[in-house]
Amino acid sequence: MALRGTAKRISGFIKKLALFLFPVFILSLALPSMAPAQVQTRLRVIEASNVGSTIDPSLRDLHGQLGSLFRYTSYRLLRDERLNLSSNQPASIPVHEGRSIEITQVGLQANLVELRVRIRRDGTDLLNTQVRLSPGRTVLIGGPKHGEGVVILALSANF
Amino acid sequence: MKDSCSSISQLLERYFDRQATDEERSLVERHLPVCQTCHERLRVLEGLRKAIKAPVDEALKEETFPWVWEKIERGIRLEKKPSWQESFRSWLDLSPLSRKKVWIPAVAIAIVLALVTSPLLFKKTPSYSERSVVEYVESGVYNVMVYESEKAKVTVIWLFEGPQNESPAS
Repeated sequence: MALRGTAKRISGFIKKLALFLFPVFILSLALPSMAPAQVQTRLRVIEASNVGSTIDPSLRDLHGQLGSLFRYTSYRLLRDERLNLSSNQPASIPVHEGRSIEITQVGLQANLVELRVRIRRDGTDLLNTQVRLSPGRTVLIGGPKHGEGVVILALSANF
Repeated sequence: MKDSCSSISQLLERYFDRQATDEERSLVERHLPVCQTCHERLRVLEGLRKAIKAPVDEALKEETFPWVWEKIERGIRLEKKPSWQESFRSWLDLSPLSRKKVWIPAVAIAIVLALVTSPLLFKKTPSYSERSVVEYVESGVYNVMVYESEKAKVTVIWLFEGPQNESPAS
């Protein structure tokens, strides 16, 4: 009799536990898709040249990377944009000489965002690329001439 | 008396072995005081028993029967061990849970949870060294060079102006 009572109580407990655990696990399955939908992306447009030796104070965090990669003596910040990118919503930033940069978030994982970057001029793609960024990683896109030097785009993301 | 003595003598061994019924025992006990032959025969039986029992009792006192224990232990060792299925089944039978068969939904839940969680547990997040930062790059205007530095955590896409560059606007 006592055993039957115990079994009944255990059975009831297991049923309640199952009722509690199923939604928890369904939620845990859904969690990856509930990752923050927006990604804060920073785009800095830099003019690098050998005219003078000025390093823009707002480029201090990039100075080491720029110095180790390029032989320019001067880095001047032309534009600093912080964009909150939603999935598949392109953000367009006009830059110099009729060019614009279009950035689209095309994928997001726990520690990785995929961005499509297009540099356009008059509706024509000058560059079309897709990069994967993690927090703390920078992608530098440079080369086109600008003034006395070249233009470098520094792209990073925080999420 | 002789018939009586003959019938008693048949009962005497049963009486001696304490296997006689109450009626037979009272019959023998009434007969023995009046029959010397039967009385003597009973004494012979008692003497015989003593003669056999005494050395056996003495031997028993000295003997510890180690071989008996050895045989028992050997028997235990040789006893077939149950398989894990039998053990599990017996555990289920012993468990009060089995009476209600509640372990069936419990096991079903455990299996479902294992199936649901295993892809998450074993999902491998690729490291950056395994995957390139630049998935693709294309340009109809520039020649492109890609340089990735894991140490500096920086990737460079450098555009060289080629023969078909975008000038004159740039």
